[in-house]
Amino acid sequence: MENPIVSDRTARWRTYLFAFIITAALFATAFIASDYFNNRRVADIRATQDDISTDILSLETQFDLLQERSCTDVAENTILPSVLTSLGSRLSYLEAQEGDSDEVLRLKRLYSLLEIKDYLLMKQISAKCNLKPVFILYFYSNERDCKDCESQGYVLTSLAQKYPQLRTYSFDYDLDVAALQTLIAIDSVQNKLPALVINGKNYYGLQKVADIQKVLPQLATLKTATSSAATSTKK
Amino acid sequence: MRAMISAAVLGAGVTYTLLFISLYFEVFLLISFLERRKVSRTVSGTRTLPKVSIVVPCFNEQMSLGSTLRSLQDLKYPPQLLDIIVVDDGSRDETLAMARTFENDRRIRVFHKENGGKHTAMNLALSVSDAELIGCLDADSIVDSDALMRVAAVFQDARIAAVTPGIHVREPQTILQHMQNVEYRLSVFNRFILAALGSAFITPGPFSIFRAGVVRELGGWRHGHFTEDMEMALRMQEAGHLIANAPNAIVHTTTPRTLRALFRQRVRWTYGFLKNAADYKHMFGDRRYGNLGVLVLPTALISIGTGIYFFCRILFWTSIDLLKAYGHYELTGAVSQPTFHLFFLNTSAMWFLVLASVLLILVLISAGSLIGTGKRMPPYSTPLFILFYCFLVPLWLSAAVVRATIGTGVRWR
Repeated sequence: MENPIVSDRTARWRTYLFAFIITAALFATAFIASDYFNNRRVADIRATQDDISTDILSLETQFDLLQERSCTDVAENTILPSVLTSLGSRLSYLEAQEGDSDEVLRLKRLYSLLEIKDYLLMKQISAKCNLKPVFILYFYSNERDCKDCESQGYVLTSLAQKYPQLRTYSFDYDLDVAALQTLIAIDSVQNKLPALVINGKNYYGLQKVADIQKVLPQLATLKTATSSAATSTKK
Repeated sequence: MRAMISAAVLGAGVTYTLLFISLYFEVFLLISFLERRKVSRTVSGTRTLPKVSIVVPCFNEQMSLGSTLRSLQDLKYPPQLLDIIVVDDGSRDETLAMARTFENDRRIRVFHKENGGKHTAMNLALSVSDAELIGCLDADSIVDSDALMRVAAVFQDARIAAVTPGIHVREPQTILQHMQNVEYRLSVFNRFILAALGSAFITPGPFSIFRAGVVRELGGWRHGHFTEDMEMALRMQEAGHLIANAPNAIVHTTTPRTLRALFRQRVRWTYGFLKNAADYKHMFGDRRYGNLGVLVLPTALISIGTGIYFFCRILFWTSIDLLKAYGHYELTGAVSQPTFHLFFLNTSAMWFLVLASVLLILVLISAGSLIGTGKRMPPYSTPLFILFYCFLVPLWLSAAVVRATIGTGVRWR
């Protein structure tokens, strides 16, 4: 830049217009890119749900064939709780990003159905095969002022991280899914959230880690994440 | 719940609006630069050089005055046309004695007066000068030897009332000075393009040169809320004069070494802008002042609010996250583990826009480097500037807004 420049003071409206068009294009690109990545996330969740759906169907079929197969085969092929937990956390992230949009609600409905199916199937397999899985049903709400729901989520996530075999099923209490409302009715879950169903008993309000460990002594029988990791390392 | 949703929608609306304005301004400057850099006007003709008075106003500058005066002595300019006026503005140290040691140079004159502020020192020099051009060089700055020749060449265009130089950081040492070095490159770009748009609203203390006749006609320098350089530029713009930029007339200025000193300097600058903006509010949005009135001044004012808003927003959400993390720790006894998975990467439109804005700033810094040094490569400390400086700026913006609002004022140093 050798030459100093100077110009007059007049505004060139063409420059103003160009700048507006480019800025608007940048905004449009940002929104389109964001939408693209959100759609990718939805597709990712859908694919995982499809996988789980197929796994459940496979399990049900195996269960029907249980007379001809050993319990060990079935138990070894159950859906890992971590898969459900991972799906749940992805859905929660999407929920936080997009709110309860139509697409998110559709995914949540399907997720709830998958959770209920897995829960029922695991109960049946447990009864037949003398397994002792540990379940927690967790009911929350996004629509109402549920201050402790987020904290309860932390507690359950922490427990799920500590005990990878713990099966935690979380349900949006207000979700319009007939099967979910039936589950709520069967377990007599009242509209006082957060609510937990542990060993057939209902608990309302925030339950801390110690509270849950107290009412769920079976937790002690589960392998912890650190012991599992140690076992894996030894292999 | 509904109130929270309404607040979130309002917050998003404000955020996107401010992002749009910021991006628009950056894009506007870049387009203007691309449009004008190829039609730079070469000054032609061989008019005789004008006589120039360079004023060095000083208050307690015994440490730096010597190097400033030596750099002026080294200027490649006909000696009979160069008049260096040192005005000791009531210093309490050995500034006056230091200045007197240079009096054996016939180009240098030394004056002493009671302390009255920089504008009074400038006006004293104006009253004793018979030069066609008069300029200022702060006693913490040094000039390149060919700077004055380059500035004088621009004044061959009779429409030009003032010329600003290309200002660079003098020997940056601390991390803070290196970050300011990047900021000054951005300023080189801004000064260049705002002059091209006829919208310069600051004639900085280090080596801005004026037509003495215009300054007299306008009534000399004023206090200008401790920013007489901004007040003078606005007054010139108001009167319809043009302010040009000569980025190759290079000045090196000493910048604050510590955060405290930087904070004080920037509070003064921002406070000065706010107060002068109030004094010249009639120029805001007025098409008669061209780009300056329509876009530059309103955006400069909005940018102060934008800086504070985004800082508060980041502070608010960081506090919420920290509170949540603390709540998580209290409940579970464990620190929540961050998840590193592409799925959880933030891909909101807001982040893309912030990224676009940062990239544009990088381009502008690079353009500033090209204008100021002839090389496109920004300084090495640019990542530090991008990552951290944006968190410092809102501190002095907020302090200046508070002081301007409640009228507590600022101090020079």
